[in-house]
Amino acid sequence: MKIVIASSFVPFVHGGGRFIVDWLELKLREHGHQVERFFLPFIDRPEDLFDQILAFRLIDVSSACDRLIAIRPPAHVLPHPNKVLWFIHHIRSLYDLWDSPYRFVPDNPSGRAFRSALIDLDTRTILEAQRVFTNSQVVATRLQHFNGIAAKPLYPPILAPERFRHDRYGEEIVVICRIEPHKRQSLLVEAMRYVKTPVKLRLCGTSMGSVHLDEIAATIAKYGMQSKVIFENRWISEEEKVERLAPALAVAYLPQDEDSYGYCSLEAGHAQKCVLTTNDSGGVLELVKDGVNGLIVPPDPLALAEAMDQLFVDRALTARMGEANRRRITEMAIDWTTVVDSLTS
Amino acid sequence: MRVLVLNNAAPFIRGGAEELADQLVARLNAISGVEAELLRIPLRSEPAEGLIEQILLNQSLRLYQVDRVVALKFPAYLIPHPNKVLWLLHQFRQAYDLYEAGNSYLCEHPSGARIVQLVRNADRKCFLKCRAIYTNSPVTQRRLLKFNGISSTVLYPPLLDPERFRGGQYGSYVFAGGRVGAGKRQHLLVEAMRMVKSDIRLVVAGPLDDDEYGRKLRGVIDQYGLSSRVELKFGFHGRDEIARLVNGALACVYIPIDEDSMGYVTMEAFCAAKAVLTVKDAGGVLELVRDGATGMVAEPDPNSIAIGLDRLADLSAAREMGLAARALLEGKSLSWKYTIERLLDD
Repeated sequence: MKIVIASSFVPFVHGGGRFIVDWLELKLREHGHQVERFFLPFIDRPEDLFDQILAFRLIDVSSACDRLIAIRPPAHVLPHPNKVLWFIHHIRSLYDLWDSPYRFVPDNPSGRAFRSALIDLDTRTILEAQRVFTNSQVVATRLQHFNGIAAKPLYPPILAPERFRHDRYGEEIVVICRIEPHKRQSLLVEAMRYVKTPVKLRLCGTSMGSVHLDEIAATIAKYGMQSKVIFENRWISEEEKVERLAPALAVAYLPQDEDSYGYCSLEAGHAQKCVLTTNDSGGVLELVKDGVNGLIVPPDPLALAEAMDQLFVDRALTARMGEANRRRITEMAIDWTTVVDSLTS
Repeated sequence: MRVLVLNNAAPFIRGGAEELADQLVARLNAISGVEAELLRIPLRSEPAEGLIEQILLNQSLRLYQVDRVVALKFPAYLIPHPNKVLWLLHQFRQAYDLYEAGNSYLCEHPSGARIVQLVRNADRKCFLKCRAIYTNSPVTQRRLLKFNGISSTVLYPPLLDPERFRGGQYGSYVFAGGRVGAGKRQHLLVEAMRMVKSDIRLVVAGPLDDDEYGRKLRGVIDQYGLSSRVELKFGFHGRDEIARLVNGALACVYIPIDEDSMGYVTMEAFCAAKAVLTVKDAGGVLELVRDGATGMVAEPDPNSIAIGLDRLADLSAAREMGLAARALLEGKSLSWKYTIERLLDD
């Protein structure tokens, strides 16, 4: 089949929204499809939001391919008689983040009209699709709630999961993801003040801004935690990631109400590690079950510290949960064959 | 510095412009302090009315966090950006020279004239806002001046893979690379081999335009018993194989009919320090090949070509001209270093 994958991007910003597209392209090719992939520029600002969406709407690849797979918004507005969506999020500031500081138009008649124009436009263009998949139950629920559209989660796998390995359950709880306020690494650092065991925390990753980094560095310095919080503020290569995870005790990932479980939770599973998360972490809770393949606690330093100590002390349980996390990925059918079959059937 | 390269893209089709865009991004990324990405906008040029939408959509896209844009083609170059450099590979020719020549699909179209006007207006508005305008050849440069009244500087696309063409031994054969067909006149070369007095051989390697021409060349070889002196290698050859043939040659030959550009074949030869034999009506090739200095310029007939080939059979002359050819290429600013410096100029 000739397939065009369309998604949006912000040039020079790298992240999960690109991986899902690049990896899908690779996997579709491996399955014998001809694939052309387009990343189109988009930024959600009120000044020209609808101009940009119009531009997407005018991009017509309908005669060039048998199927269009649209991923990040507003790629779903591209017209095609055989359109399938792998919908990974809405333009959230006008959807579920309306009642939050992220809302970028005022909550007045004109702002509300702006919002409902987008919702209406999204609903119409999403309904054009033959099938609608999401990357999580969280996003599927939002589609139902805001657009009245039923969608099925199609969980995104990582590329080449077999490269991850498990050596032992050591003393480090590892966090490998972007260091940003909503990923709440600072909460984990704060928690390290209260741990009673020799458990260690390793933070790896880069940041778009410096505020969160400074905050973390300041907390480490203030409480003299240099020996128990290892802070690798740099880009970690895929090979290094494998080496960091293999001897880890567990992985921590506690984003604030994230849409999906996050690739780092999957990487944990493939390396046979359980995940420490919080009860407000959104999509992570679709993967992690408390006491089964990880621990779920309130987003509070004391509760986190207690959980970290438990992971350190009760190694038998930590090991069982690590193994369970590997099985959980299979149970949820998080693999590329499922993805390719769903998107091409 | 974040540099975004803009190109259009017909889905599932790749050609020279795509290779050039990829290479440009790779070369930009090799420079410390520069981060480059390619943005490809799907283009659909039919039906003709769709062009209006193509213009509108590109004008409606927005770029943030980009320090410089290098735009190569219509209509992707219409995406607004305050710091845009145009390296024009060609305009939308259906609305320019092909239209004037009566060869455009817009000629027959009821709204053709208005669509042409629309394309030209959008182009003009965009060109006037560009920080700098470069064209890939004198032909593109002339068209831009003629149709849009915009002057530009020619910035030739360098070889995509100069690293392969490092030169080598001056062997016993002359090499004729590139497509094989009537427009490239390899038959004149084969016929010339009948009259060559020295013991050099001719190697022709490249994809055939049509089988008939291939049969014709084989016919000449059979008729005059040239099979030990002429080797025909029809078909696609990998870059490494082409480079091997160039690097080991005594000299190269390239005799197209009035070509627009200098030709990659000429540039590869010069890069590898090989002299090039060409002919007086070869067009852009003559920008590089100077008779007796960087190669030979013959009349487009077998006899004259044979005399030129015999002169190249003198190893020291071939080597001397080859080295001069390489020096000329370097002086012509056909390196990626020079090209990128221009594109990133303030």
